[in-house]
Amino acid sequence: MIAKAMIAASTKPIILAILKGGENYGYRIIQSVREISGGNLEWSEPMLYPVLRRLERDGLVKSKWKVTENGRFRKYYQLTPLGHEELKNERLQWLTVHVAFCKILDLAAETK
Amino acid sequence: MFNLTQAIERWRRKILAGQAIEDGDLAELEGHLRDKIEDLAARGMNEEEAFLRAEAEFARSKDLDADFFRARSRRDGARPSWQRWRWVPPLLASYIKIALRKIRRQKAYALINIAGLSVGLACCAVIILYVTNELSYDTFHPDSRRLYRIATHRINQVGEDRSSTTPGPLGPELLRSYPQIERAVRIVAPYENARHVLVVSGEKRFFENRVWFVDRDISHVFRIPFLQGHPQTSLEKPNAVVITEGTARKYFGGEPPLGQTLQIEIDYDTGTTELQDYEITGVVKDSPANTHFKYDLLLSMPTLLQNVPSFEEDWLEYHTKYTYVKLSPTAEAADFEKQVQRAAAIVYQKYEEARNRKMELFEFFLQPLSRIHMDSRLQEEMEPPGNWYYVYIYSAVALLILLVGCMNFVNLSIALSAARTREVGLRKVVGASRGHLVGQFLGESFLITLLAFCLSFGLVYSLLFPFNRMAGTELSLAGLTQPAVFAALAGLLVAVGLGSGFYPAFVLTAFKPVSILQGRLAPSSRGTLMQTLLVVGQFAISIYLVICTLTVEQQLNFMRGRALGFDLEQKLVLRVKSNLSHLRRDYETIKNSFLQNPAITGATVSSSVPGDPADAGYYLTTRPGDFKNAARLKVITIDYDFIPEFKIKMMAGRAFERGLKNDENGAYLINLAGVKELGFSNPQEALEKSYMSHYHRMTKRIIGVTDDFHYRGMQTVVEPLILDIESSLMDTITLSVRMDSSNDLLGFVRRVWDEHFPGVPFEYSFLDEDFDRQYRYEKQMGSLLGITTTLGLVVACLGLFGMASFIARRREKEIGIRKVLGASAHDIVTMLAGRFVRLICLAAVIASPLALYSMNSWLRDFAYRIHIDAAIFLAAAFGALAIALLTVGLQGFRAAVANPADSLRNE
Repeated sequence: MIAKAMIAASTKPIILAILKGGENYGYRIIQSVREISGGNLEWSEPMLYPVLRRLERDGLVKSKWKVTENGRFRKYYQLTPLGHEELKNERLQWLTVHVAFCKILDLAAETK
Repeated sequence: MFNLTQAIERWRRKILAGQAIEDGDLAELEGHLRDKIEDLAARGMNEEEAFLRAEAEFARSKDLDADFFRARSRRDGARPSWQRWRWVPPLLASYIKIALRKIRRQKAYALINIAGLSVGLACCAVIILYVTNELSYDTFHPDSRRLYRIATHRINQVGEDRSSTTPGPLGPELLRSYPQIERAVRIVAPYENARHVLVVSGEKRFFENRVWFVDRDISHVFRIPFLQGHPQTSLEKPNAVVITEGTARKYFGGEPPLGQTLQIEIDYDTGTTELQDYEITGVVKDSPANTHFKYDLLLSMPTLLQNVPSFEEDWLEYHTKYTYVKLSPTAEAADFEKQVQRAAAIVYQKYEEARNRKMELFEFFLQPLSRIHMDSRLQEEMEPPGNWYYVYIYSAVALLILLVGCMNFVNLSIALSAARTREVGLRKVVGASRGHLVGQFLGESFLITLLAFCLSFGLVYSLLFPFNRMAGTELSLAGLTQPAVFAALAGLLVAVGLGSGFYPAFVLTAFKPVSILQGRLAPSSRGTLMQTLLVVGQFAISIYLVICTLTVEQQLNFMRGRALGFDLEQKLVLRVKSNLSHLRRDYETIKNSFLQNPAITGATVSSSVPGDPADAGYYLTTRPGDFKNAARLKVITIDYDFIPEFKIKMMAGRAFERGLKNDENGAYLINLAGVKELGFSNPQEALEKSYMSHYHRMTKRIIGVTDDFHYRGMQTVVEPLILDIESSLMDTITLSVRMDSSNDLLGFVRRVWDEHFPGVPFEYSFLDEDFDRQYRYEKQMGSLLGITTTLGLVVACLGLFGMASFIARRREKEIGIRKVLGASAHDIVTMLAGRFVRLICLAAVIASPLALYSMNSWLRDFAYRIHIDAAIFLAAAFGALAIALLTVGLQGFRAAVANPADSLRNE
């Protein structure tokens, strides 16, 4: 069980990173997260959307409605230039913390 | 059977209960739900299970609402409003929020809307004030339902009449003999000089015309709030007077008036008058505007009784005496009315005793106090009655303006929402229920109406002053707080708010959204039809008002300009209100004093001047002493100079001539109408015929016949008239003057006046101005119509302007393309304006017959009237057309000269 605070902190960089790979929509983002983490990160599904809203409000992503083949509407998200910048920032932050942990908590071995 | 669609519906509604979740969010969530269900179904679950699983997943996140709210707010850690305060109805708050956002985004159009509506609402508010004021006369007295005035209906040998006056002794008699009378009070006007009572306090001398003798209990019948002094005792003793606040200020400034003395001159018709001292025993509030009994000074009845001891005995004289009663709570008015005829019997008896013949009919009848102002039209009313006719007309006009304002509003709403079809469509598709949209539109319309209302109060404030001057009323903003007015205004707010929003809310939201999103942006054809109707409607109303205004103006000018039959230019009128005996004895000397000044070319003395009510009349009979079947003619008593000074034309015989002594005692003049009245077929026949008048019992013969000059103004047909040399009725001096800046004419006149009438305030007027005042009602209506027409046109044009600019913007691209393809500015403007021209023509066609009908009915009331002018109709139509073209043209021009590249860039 991952602590709530950790999930909260990691949500933003994970989403940004996934979006870096291209345009994406809510449901698929959640699936990707589940896959990549090997099932360890199980996000409460509806929780994703307020976060996306917030990212959009802060100008890191922008959204667009599209019509699917079977006539449904779907909202797609993609990174803005600002979002790219922010992702770099976040990556740096996590790296800093990670390096510190590696030294202190002796993580080096398990992360290979 | 599990129905996925229904289940999702239910789920949606649950989610929607949250308040931070907007329609787009819901769509996204639903999409997510469906994706998940598909997924699970692909893995082998059946629909129902899949749905339940997916739903459960959603339920795991607690307080989705708050999350969404936080995501949207600008402050970190913000708490959603419904978790903060509990008392704002959240739905209302969000509608208002959305509405405000919309308004901010489309400021210009919102402003036009609000402006137009404000004007309409302001007009309505003023008219509501006026109407409620008129209908509220005398309703503020306590127990007003038990208050009545006694009036008389009589037939004797001079004729039949109904009068608001009653004999003096009636009041006390009622109290004595009728148990159902709780109170009875009399109000009596000062005898001869009711309209000009001289009141003096030291250096201050004024003529007052709202002076009454009243019984002590007057404040038990009428509501007369005392500020100083006691209602019970103030009017007990003789020579006591109670004055109003305003009067106190006028004579005493800021000093306390109680106990001080006023000198008042009442002419009891005993031959001489003198100032008597009165002690001020009370001060009351100024009499309000909405009562027929208006007063400035109230004199105690014992004063009158002292000076006219026969008052309590005289059952046959009821000139300017009024009796008011308050019935006890259990009494029945109809019942009392029957019983009060017993008192009438006293009158019969006294009459027979005095005149030696029977009176044919004499009866009393009751008038409810609150109905007097609007409905009573008896002889000798205290003040001119209200007029239902004008109440209707003003109301109708106000409603028309309001209608134009509302039409405006709906029109612009339609136009604006056409632009929002895309938004509306999207919202419908992504889950907004129709109810949501309807609520939102209604909310917006309500909000705009509210704003317009607030704005209109400022307008009302500035409209009240000119309106009061015009209509002779005393309306004030305070009247808005009365419950009746307040309720009417609140009702208006709701009606307009909901009514105006009705069309956009219900009709426009009822279209298929899919077609919108697929790119077909056409607004519903229903919207366009409605807009057309509204433009036509607005302009039809405006054109109607213009035609009516112009016609009324024409009639007024006609009445003023038409040959009145006498000369009224440069006539200075001096009314002698005091010391009449000097005037009547020595008028030739007085005239000569004035004629000393070369700027005064003539002088004449008479009982009235053309334009005055001229109610005095003679009964003429050929058989001396026998006045049965006597002819009644109006009379003006004149001197030798009257005819030449007023340049009245003689049709037969001759005018009065000085030097012929017999003219004074033996001659009459009559007018052409009089000739007919006396039964002659031409003026020549009437000459040399002799008649005795009931007034002075002298027999005189007719020596001349004058033209029918309009001595009472243009509204009434000229009635039969006698001109007689008879000094006992004279009270007016008319000077023919040559006014110019070099001579100090008024100063001279004043000096002569002071010589002959010392101590009497000098008041004068010019005859042509006086005459103009006759048409007060018609002038009022002319001004009112003028104002409202202008307002109506302004509002209609505002609407047109808004619409035109809107359409021009919408067709920006089209215009841009046309320009690129070679269209000139002229072509563009024509294209835009063409449609409007046709609409205006249609409006004119609709308005004209209606205006024709209205004006015909109005003109029927005039004895002398114009023929309705076709030119006016054409002028109105063209005028409207011109204004509309100007408005639209301006917009079109702007669109035409815009750079097409700009508009096409947004592709």
